[in-house]
Amino acid sequence: MHLQRALMQNRKMDLWVELVQTVSGLLLVGFLWTHMIFVASILLGIEAFNTLAKFMEDFGLLPVAVIFIILAGAAHVGTVLRRIPGRWQEQKIVWRHAKTIKHHDTWSWLFQAVTGSAMLILIIIHVFVVVYAGINTELSADRVHSWMLWFYIVLLLLAEYHASVGLYRTLVKWTNMKRRSLKTVLLIITILTVGLGLISLAVFYSHGGSI
Amino acid sequence: MNPRQLTFQIFRYNPETPEQQPSMQNYVVEEEPGMTLFIALNRIRETLDPTLRFDFVCRAGICGSCGMLINGTPTLACRTLTKNLPENITLMPLPVFQLLGDLSVDTGTWFREMSIRTESWVHSNKEIDPRAPEEPMDNETALSIYEAERCIECGCCIGGCATANLKPDFIGAAGVNRVARFMLDPRDQRSEQEYFDVVGSEDGIFGCIGLMACDDNCPVGIPLQGQLAYVRKKMASAGWKRK
Repeated sequence: MHLQRALMQNRKMDLWVELVQTVSGLLLVGFLWTHMIFVASILLGIEAFNTLAKFMEDFGLLPVAVIFIILAGAAHVGTVLRRIPGRWQEQKIVWRHAKTIKHHDTWSWLFQAVTGSAMLILIIIHVFVVVYAGINTELSADRVHSWMLWFYIVLLLLAEYHASVGLYRTLVKWTNMKRRSLKTVLLIITILTVGLGLISLAVFYSHGGSI
Repeated sequence: MNPRQLTFQIFRYNPETPEQQPSMQNYVVEEEPGMTLFIALNRIRETLDPTLRFDFVCRAGICGSCGMLINGTPTLACRTLTKNLPENITLMPLPVFQLLGDLSVDTGTWFREMSIRTESWVHSNKEIDPRAPEEPMDNETALSIYEAERCIECGCCIGGCATANLKPDFIGAAGVNRVARFMLDPRDQRSEQEYFDVVGSEDGIFGCIGLMACDDNCPVGIPLQGQLAYVRKKMASAGWKRK
């Protein structure tokens, strides 16, 4: 026991921060997958997508989703920041270490941090665009049928990768599941969700010129 | 078939002559059947370079002295056969521990400090009569304690851990495994809150970010993923109940 630790009002702090990080992360994975399934409603036709969008607007689900993403996102960013090596020296150590030991899960953690940081910027843009423009097929199709297609493809890949690796790490930390099988299952889920997202984007793109 | 000529690229540095920069030095050794790195390194020291420093004691994977980075992987040199390695072999000392010179590091001080910080002894107020027969323990408990107790303190889990490389106070998988051993032991009367004071922090179990290099590299195969999850869950529940 050290003085600083004895003086710490709440000795549970480290546990709380860890739990906030984990729970907010899991909620965000749930949000991402629900979101991608909703977007995929375009596969059932323009009608289906617009009905779902209207339903969300009528029941005030859009502001709820935005508030949720801001709160959960802020909690997640705030708690995971402590994990990112902040000093230049630490950055050098962690990259050199990963290169030296050539260990898969160490690399995946570094990519997790990189994709997370990149996503933060892209998600802020994404939320702003949706909040200011609203949701309907025409708007989405026009956006996808422009240079923003690349924005969505990159965001999709980053988000699905980050979610999958985050979920993997949470399960590895809290359970004794076999890591190899866990990786296989998550790889299949990721391929499916990325596939679904890409097909949805393709459908939007095809509507882009015509509506 | 001609025997392979193995090229060893070995990290050289002597902290006592800091004016000499750390460097990698090459040695070529002819491979022999059944050659381990223990044999190869001794061959280098006997025939090529008597100044090369490295540690070995038991050469049978029991003492844990010869942990090093073999082509980047933290593992025991004495249990590594050269036939399982490519022709070019890079050897580096384990990170985190104090570097004594070349491949030799001081794991002992680190482990002693960890033992003190985790209070690695059975805490009990029970009066023990040395002449009375020992109290029996059921086999399952004994085996689960033994599983954690198999740690040979080679330090491979610590050297491979990114968190331990960044944070010198982090107790790492070896420390958490040690705590798990006492948690399992019914003779230890520590309450979960006392354990929480020892490992319920960023320097303990909540500093682990789940990279699992420890679990992948433990040369004696202690199931460290399970040990970490066990202590993490116990400490989460203890912290939850804490006032």
